[in-house]
Amino acid sequence: MKQTQDTEQQATTLDQHLALLARMTQEFTASLDIEETLNNAIKQMMDVMHAEAASIFLLENDNTELVCRTCAGPIQLTGLRLAADHGIIGNTVKQNKVQMVLDVSTDPDFTAQVDEQTGFTTRSILCAPLTVKDRKLGAIELINKKTENGLFVEDDQHILTALASSAALAIHNAEMASALIEQERIQHELELAREIQANLLPSPSTDDFPVHGFNLPMREVSGDFYDYFTLPDGRIVFNLADVSGKGMNASLLMAKTSSLFHCLGKTQTSPGQLLHSINNEVHENSTRGMFVTMVGGIFDPTSNELILANAGHQPPMLQYADGHFEEIPGQSPPLGIMPNIEFPETKLQLADGTLYIYTDGVTESQQDGKMLGETGFQAMINAHRDKPVTTRIKAMFESLQREGRELHDDVTVLVIENNAIKTPSLALSVPAKANYLKQLRDSARKMVLTAGSSSEQADSIILAISEAASNIIQHAYKGDEGDIELNIHVDSNPEQPQLVINLRDYAKTIDVNEIRSRALDDVRPGGLGVHFMQQLMDNLVYTVPEDGRGNRLEMRIAIND
Amino acid sequence: MTKNSDSPVKFEIDDEQGYLVIRFEGEIDLYGTPHAREVILNCLKSERNTVIDLSAVSYIDSSGVASLVEGFQQAKDKQLEFGLINISDAVRNVLELAHLDKVFTIHASLDERIQAS
Repeated sequence: MKQTQDTEQQATTLDQHLALLARMTQEFTASLDIEETLNNAIKQMMDVMHAEAASIFLLENDNTELVCRTCAGPIQLTGLRLAADHGIIGNTVKQNKVQMVLDVSTDPDFTAQVDEQTGFTTRSILCAPLTVKDRKLGAIELINKKTENGLFVEDDQHILTALASSAALAIHNAEMASALIEQERIQHELELAREIQANLLPSPSTDDFPVHGFNLPMREVSGDFYDYFTLPDGRIVFNLADVSGKGMNASLLMAKTSSLFHCLGKTQTSPGQLLHSINNEVHENSTRGMFVTMVGGIFDPTSNELILANAGHQPPMLQYADGHFEEIPGQSPPLGIMPNIEFPETKLQLADGTLYIYTDGVTESQQDGKMLGETGFQAMINAHRDKPVTTRIKAMFESLQREGRELHDDVTVLVIENNAIKTPSLALSVPAKANYLKQLRDSARKMVLTAGSSSEQADSIILAISEAASNIIQHAYKGDEGDIELNIHVDSNPEQPQLVINLRDYAKTIDVNEIRSRALDDVRPGGLGVHFMQQLMDNLVYTVPEDGRGNRLEMRIAIND
Repeated sequence: MTKNSDSPVKFEIDDEQGYLVIRFEGEIDLYGTPHAREVILNCLKSERNTVIDLSAVSYIDSSGVASLVEGFQQAKDKQLEFGLINISDAVRNVLELAHLDKVFTIHASLDERIQAS
């Protein structure tokens, strides 16, 4: 009878154990709130396993400590920290094996430290490791079985092992879930940071503004930045910078440096002095080892003068109108390394050239394992050279993002070119009177100098224009009233760009054959003028305009041939 | 010394060492040429040897060159001396273009001209 009772009791216990296992597994799976689940689980385990006390210890602090995360029983242990190798529980974790100590008083691993602190008397311990695959998480410990002898039995070991693996998986899942939530939170914050950062960059400019930039961050936030703004006197202050390192630290230093630039740049218009001030500020309270490379400058669209200062950044490239590139070097160290450094300035005439300031993310981008390099970047510029600046930037941006190109760093480019000068042209209409010739010459001279003609060539061109206009006054209008239209533009299509000069009148259409230069000894006004024009210009063509009225003369000359 | 004020081409005439020295200033184009021509021909009309100082002429066109040629031809007819002194680069370039730089006698100054003769 006793045996039957025992068997029944065992069956009931087994049922209870299996039910607990099923319930806990379900709860663990359902809940991602690990604390609450563990609190419930530990109470149930204690009851079902008939233990006096139970606790779960998890490894923390780089696995150097075991911390009690939850417990049940007469003594509150939650928060208790033990060294990872402490006692039986430490041994369980270390050996990754269930430990059952029937009588702690005989076990050499048992330390009475906790008992001494709590007044609790430990007699018997059952301790199972919490592991997922090979990762050790901690251990579950049951203390003193509520039986007469207070000792755990073999079966208890198996049950706890099963419960422990279920709990370990739940802890692992919860950790993963909270890591995911944390990751999402960080992601969200990074997106905010990116938005803030993007707002620090100036809005895209239109084609007629001389400064343009683009930034392609590798991560959510960038260590690169650029800025430009116009001073009340019309000059434009600009910079491009690259903060050492990547990610959040770099972007915070970026935000600080760009604010300093934007603020100080409004009053300190000497780029060398400006970099000097920013350097001292950044150095004063920058994190050790972080620095910023920067090219700062100021551009005067009226005089076309460009002043640059370079703090450890790679040399910008100036592409001249004839297509060749020149590096504008600088020798000063980056910002933030040491205080009170001088940043020498480079002054240059932008003329109709284009300055490219860029970060090494551009030249270090790779395709088919090959770095783009300076030559590759120049080729990329040349491929889009004829496009207006905003279109060109967009095309370069797309090239850099093209499939198959690997970017290893933030990519930032600043382009400076004086667009008013890039495509210089002149359209002018004056009355056909001799006293307007000077105005024609003065306007034409200014334009052709802007287009790149030398002073000598400008002299020749205005002589030809003035002679042509004189002929219109004398021989086309013959003293009648009328207008002379002068148009000059640059034709960049020929290998050597040409100035195309058009003079148009509305007088009676003249027979082209009558216009010829006279023999040089027959010196009278008119004939000598045509001789000059033929000598000075590469090409002269008289045509009747499309509307059939008057005359048109087109003269062409290669710029500074 | 004679000085005009409303002409597009300004000029001064000095009587120096037996020459009338016309010093033009400005741009001698189709607009300025009639005045310049009148000044030159008037000097020659007075049967005086004439030299023209072109240091302050920044521009001259074919009509201006033509008036110099006219002066040169009239002087030759009247057996008077006619020469250019102190010509600016702008003027020299145009005279070269017209192949007249060897036709006119050109000197750096009046003194040099007198020494050379």
